[in-house]
Amino acid sequence: MNEDSDNADLRSREHPIREDMTYQLKVWRFERVGWYVLVLVLLMGLMGVFSRGLLSSRDVRSEDGKVRVEYEIFHRNGSTNSMKITLYSAPDSQVELELAGQLLEGFSIETLQPEPLRSRSSSQGIRLWLQTDLDGQATLYITLRGDGLGFYRSQVSSPGTNGIKLVQFIFP
Amino acid sequence: MDSVLRAGAMYVALMVLFKIAGRRSLAELTTFDFILLLMIGEATQQALLGDDFSLTNSVIVIVTLVAIDVGLSLLKQRSRWISRLIDGEPTIIVENGKLLHERLRRARLLEADVMEAARSSQGIEKLEEIKFAILERNGKISVIARDD
Repeated sequence: MNEDSDNADLRSREHPIREDMTYQLKVWRFERVGWYVLVLVLLMGLMGVFSRGLLSSRDVRSEDGKVRVEYEIFHRNGSTNSMKITLYSAPDSQVELELAGQLLEGFSIETLQPEPLRSRSSSQGIRLWLQTDLDGQATLYITLRGDGLGFYRSQVSSPGTNGIKLVQFIFP
Repeated sequence: MDSVLRAGAMYVALMVLFKIAGRRSLAELTTFDFILLLMIGEATQQALLGDDFSLTNSVIVIVTLVAIDVGLSLLKQRSRWISRLIDGEPTIIVENGKLLHERLRRARLLEADVMEAARSSQGIEKLEEIKFAILERNGKISVIARDD
């Protein structure tokens, strides 16, 4: 009986307005599905799909363990995120770091700390020289601002080590 | 160029979002709905203008929004299909003093919402006195009283 009255409820009326319940039901279904999509977007946001979160933050090391990069996969156009690069080498020495690939096309480097000893451009990107501490460790903190849109592939390497390949995505 | 794209994208995004939210969402503004509206406006503003606060940029953004709006209303006049897609259609929710429960449920409405509209527009006290209650396209509930 209940189902019958439901069906009667959903039949199109002609008076006082002409209805098209088939269409209205589609609209309601769209609203319902839309609500699920909104919840999904919300959860994705919490997980860090749109930058800063579990799925976005990465901490990778090169195979030989001499280069370590902590970075965000997902960025947003116009917002800043940090990247931390750590190099392991001989204590109290100079170590060379190369940032190559599309990194400099998609991002602008807002800050670079500590200031490298030297820097110059190379065919694929920029080279920086850093001073290692007594443990043989040199750390570089970079603030990146996303300027582009889409995927950017880049490499972080140091001569004599396997580099790290990064893929980053910038949202509009 | 990007100002026009920004404004266009925002217009479409907000339109889809408020379609999902349904016609009732901001039809009867409570105090909190009003605050919510302000917050949405605040969040939108940055994305619309970016980091360019020039007069030119804001005029371009406003021109784009108004142009899309006028363009859509022209389209709505020409095509019933588009008009229905954008504005929706009215739905009867009370017929001869009886609530159409299944419709209320899907429209996310309560009997209290219907009675509130009946009281405020017609001074009706009981459901039986309502001949028709119609959920209009703008989300308001219009009430037609019984003759007797």
